[in-house]
Order: sequence, then C-alpha cells, then structure tokens
Amino acid sequence: MEFFLAFFNFALAMWLAWRGQERLALYLFFVGLIFSASIYMRHATSALPLTF
Amino acid sequence: MQLRPGFAITLNALALYALSGLLAAAFVWQFALDELPCPLCLLQRVAFTALAIGPVLNIVRGPQPRNYGLVIIAAVFGAIVSGRQVLLHIVPGDPGFGSPVLGLHLYTWAFVVFAAAIVASAVMLMLPAQFEGEKRDARLSWFAQGAVYLIITLTLLNAFSAFAQCGLQSCPGDPVRYELFS
Repeated sequence: MEFFLAFFNFALAMWLAWRGQERLALYLFFVGLIFSASIYMRHATSALPLTF
Repeated sequence: MQLRPGFAITLNALALYALSGLLAAAFVWQFALDELPCPLCLLQRVAFTALAIGPVLNIVRGPQPRNYGLVIIAAVFGAIVSGRQVLLHIVPGDPGFGSPVLGLHLYTWAFVVFAAAIVASAVMLMLPAQFEGEKRDARLSWFAQGAVYLIITLTLLNAFSAFAQCGLQSCPGDPVRYELFS
C-alpha cells in the first residue's frame, strides 16, 4: 500500500507541475521523498545476510 | 558553450523518454519474466519517478537551476537505495536478486543511471544560457508534451501494479504473487 501512495504522490506532483501549480508540485515532491525515505527505513534491515 | 532554452527543453524531454523506457523495461521483467519487484526494487522505481519532476518543471516553466537540483536530490536518494541493494548481494557466491542484464543486475544498472543523472544535472547547471532570455515558446512541441504524458502514465501504472502486488498491507520482502488476487 505504501508504494501505491508513493507512486501516486509523484504522479500527482507531475500532473500539478504540468498544470502550472508549481509550488504545490514542489511540496508534493519533498513530501514524497520524505515518505520514500521512511519506507526505506521501514524495509531496510540492519544486518547484511552474510553467507559465512 | 551556449545552450538555448528550446534545446534544453528538448534534452529534458529526452530524459523523460529515457526514464519512461526504464520503467517500461522494468515492467517487461515483471510480467514477461515473472520477476516481481522486491521493496527495494519498488523504491528504486519510485526514485525514477521522482527524477522526472525536475524535467517536467523545466519543460512547463522553462529551465531553472532549482529543477536540476530536484533531479540531483532524487538521484542521490535512488543511489542510496540501489547502492544498498548492491551491497546486500556483494558477498562472493551470492547469486543476486533477479536475472542479470549484460552481466549486471537491475539494481546495479539503476545505480549507474542515478549516478549518470547526477553528472548530467551538474553539466546542465554549468550551461547558464538556457536560464536567460525568453523561457520557452508559448506552445510546447508534441515531443515534449508526449514525454510528460508518457511518464505520468507509467508512474500511474506502477502505482496500480504496486497495489496489485501488495494489496492493502505492507509489501512482502520476497514477493512471489500478487496479493490482491490471491
């Protein structure tokens, strides 16, 4: 679900940029990046799965 | 070197077509080879869509240094994500995740693309003539319009694909099926 929201956020940002809503597009860009960084922290593990 | 605003807009449109090609190729891997993207893979796709915001703004409002800065920020994030996935599978003997292309896995190619985006943005920032004078023609060419519509379409397709793959829950670490249809 979180990836659907992330993709949709950037699609909306692109659409708003296309429609001339520059400031709103920039807000969504940074909100999307922060959200994506939180997804990264959520899914990244703290240890490398070593084979030895 | 003098870079006219119109040519800079064409270069930005080309960048959008290149990003669209990458996202489309990822769909080929997903549907033709039945290799579902893992969470880190999906995050790299998200980073590719974030890369597109800067060029879209350059096309619509004319080139501005700030927009190349947006590309750099998105590319740094993408490089961190893809770099992590490279490191997760860098141990000798590790088969990696997914099928390799020309000897490199997709996440390694993604890292190369993100690094190239940073270098390309840096080069564009060193060509100030595109930021001066008349921003752009009142009417955008079909080439630039098509690039914007294409990247928006592919981003939405990725959104619905991610929803089909993960459903209403958090995406599994090693995806093997579409949760929405199981």
